Amino acid sequence: MEQIEIKKSDQGWQNGMAKSITFIVTKDCQLACKYCYLVGKNTKERMTWEVAKEAIDYILDREEDFREESVVWDFIGGEPFLEIELIDKICDYLKTEMYRRNHHWFNSYRFSFSTNGINYHTEKVQKFIEKNKNHLSIGITIDGTKRKHDLNRIWKTPEMEQGKMPKPEEEKGSYDDVVKNIPLWLCQFPGAATKVTIASPDIPYIKESVLHLYALGIKEVNINCVFENVWKEGDDALFEEQLTELADAIIDMDLYKDHACSFYQEFIGKPMDPERDNQNWCGAGKMLAVDAAGNFYPCTRFAAYSLRSKPAWIIGNTHDGIDQNKLRPFLTLDRSTQSPRECMECEVASGCAWCQGENYDAADTHTVYQRATAICMMHKARVRANNYYWNKLFRKLELQEYEEQKRKSMNIVC
Amino acid sequence: MLTHIIILLDDTSVSYCHYDNNGAKRLLITLNDLKAGIIWAMKENLNIQFVYPDYALPDEYNKTIETIDHTKIKPDVQAKDADVLVLTDWKNRLLPAINGATCIIKASRKELNDDHEKIMEVLNMAERLNIVITDIDSFTDKEIDDYKAFLDRLADGVSKMYSQGKTAQINLLTDRIMLNEMNNCNAGSSNVTLAPNGRFYLCPAFYYDNPQNDVGNLQEGLCIKNQQLLCLDHAPICRRCDAYQCRRCVWMNSKLTMDANTPSHQQCVVAHLERNASRLLQQILQEKGISLNPSYEIEEINYLDPFNIVNRWK
Repeated sequence: MEQIEIKKSDQGWQNGMAKSITFIVTKDCQLACKYCYLVGKNTKERMTWEVAKEAIDYILDREEDFREESVVWDFIGGEPFLEIELIDKICDYLKTEMYRRNHHWFNSYRFSFSTNGINYHTEKVQKFIEKNKNHLSIGITIDGTKRKHDLNRIWKTPEMEQGKMPKPEEEKGSYDDVVKNIPLWLCQFPGAATKVTIASPDIPYIKESVLHLYALGIKEVNINCVFENVWKEGDDALFEEQLTELADAIIDMDLYKDHACSFYQEFIGKPMDPERDNQNWCGAGKMLAVDAAGNFYPCTRFAAYSLRSKPAWIIGNTHDGIDQNKLRPFLTLDRSTQSPRECMECEVASGCAWCQGENYDAADTHTVYQRATAICMMHKARVRANNYYWNKLFRKLELQEYEEQKRKSMNIVC
Repeated sequence: MLTHIIILLDDTSVSYCHYDNNGAKRLLITLNDLKAGIIWAMKENLNIQFVYPDYALPDEYNKTIETIDHTKIKPDVQAKDADVLVLTDWKNRLLPAINGATCIIKASRKELNDDHEKIMEVLNMAERLNIVITDIDSFTDKEIDDYKAFLDRLADGVSKMYSQGKTAQINLLTDRIMLNEMNNCNAGSSNVTLAPNGRFYLCPAFYYDNPQNDVGNLQEGLCIKNQQLLCLDHAPICRRCDAYQCRRCVWMNSKLTMDANTPSHQQCVVAHLERNASRLLQQILQEKGISLNPSYEIEEINYLDPFNIVNRWK
């Protein structure tokens, strides 16, 4: 039997087991994406070199507390490339210090970026990429077709900072400013993936957007619905329809062979054993984030600018260190303790994700142990489309194999 | 399931647990709220514990209190009729007539080590002594060592009392020997507090920390959000733990780890030092032919903080 060709999603560098340390270098961004969970973006909170250095020294001084084999030094904003000069200095210092200290991370590190792509082509960013190209992961966010992308990912205006929103006809989308950098990006990172976020208004454009991204040369599309409670009645049916049509297109056009879309995963939509499958979904607490004030967080989603209705969950700072007590709730999280009974008894539970930050933000009390379930109906719709995808794909492959066998047997000369 | 209500009669009602209300000014619960609280408790089938201030209540209040079966928690300066007596100045003041009441001593780790003799004196007079440590949250490794030394000394003293035929009960040592399962404070899950402002709180500590932390009031009833997180089965560390005597203080959890269902390192270590000292006492008593709980032997363990073995459970 021939090897079946189905492109699998990338599991991430070191299978996602590396320590993730995030520098929130700025809370500013050129864009004002409508679905952005960062409710407190501003132009003032920019990380200084002194704070960055304190954070690095704190972490590298405590090698015994950070025993993971590898590290991902992650840079986010806002838009991280707005601070490319600081980032360049941070990365140079990290490399020098990891080497000087003979730190076990020296031969196992990555610098990682999630960018809106607008400054990607600039000289400073390109120089940085050239200098660090063997240790870089860069994801550019492009949401799909121009109309889908521009629906949400619009330019920020000075008036917005005063709280005044532009009229829809005055909004300026960012698609053209991003798409021009995609060829350069794919040339430098041929296997690069993009991340697409779906909110309620985006649903009608899912199919065309994923196919458009494939056409741009992006072979892996990681796509997910926002965890916030934004969904309207009927969104699930429309979502299922879009995913079913997309499944047809991917299979009929044989795109599954060398393209991946994270919507379709074989493991999702199965019941889960309450004891055997009791792991937490999210890595909050195992990660570490630091902001411009030098405060540490279990993940960036627990910084004040990410939270709508809860205070920041600060676990320490670069001067006083990390308060291990404040990490304990995260490191003991499991599925059964935070999930309502409905989730524990759900017959399509596997693959239903949650964000610990959103759980905390939406919780009725100050806790990370109350799972937000706004995504429930969208997960169930995804499961139905996913089942359709795999049933259709496996039948196609089965028939192909049958035809192949038949052809071979007819060629046998007695 | 709720079984108890604690009614703070005044803002200056004596503190009998980890919290501090030293700054509080007199504010007596209104007679109407007191009566409404009693009726609410009767309808919810709850046992009532009244917590008294250090001054005599008006007669009308005493009469109202006596309309229902209850427990009185009182400061030593108002010792008459107390079921639970808080010894507020136990180091300096002459002990009052205890008359079978359970005694409570609140002390810092240093006071425990420095005034061990006085503690033994109280234990000799009382049928039961509860010691509440007031500075667990700031315990360092040094204080943890000192606390272990205190417990070892206490276990030695208690074993001698048993040898002399005196049955001593002390929460830090004998509770664990007697228990076959968790017996914690259970604030918010088996008991709730009515404050002098007519509002409900998970426990007095939440009230004194921030009066905005209420979980309902007498008019609208009780509304404890995420109540399941106050229960043992929703506490990932505690539900597997066998330091059965631990208070499992959800207020300290909220302060130190910021999540009510997760204990701090300090609370776990303190509870395990007590557990291990209880095991030592159990062994000493068994050698003397005294068994407080014949059906249960405390096992040896090799950790003080169960968080350190959490990965074994996953």
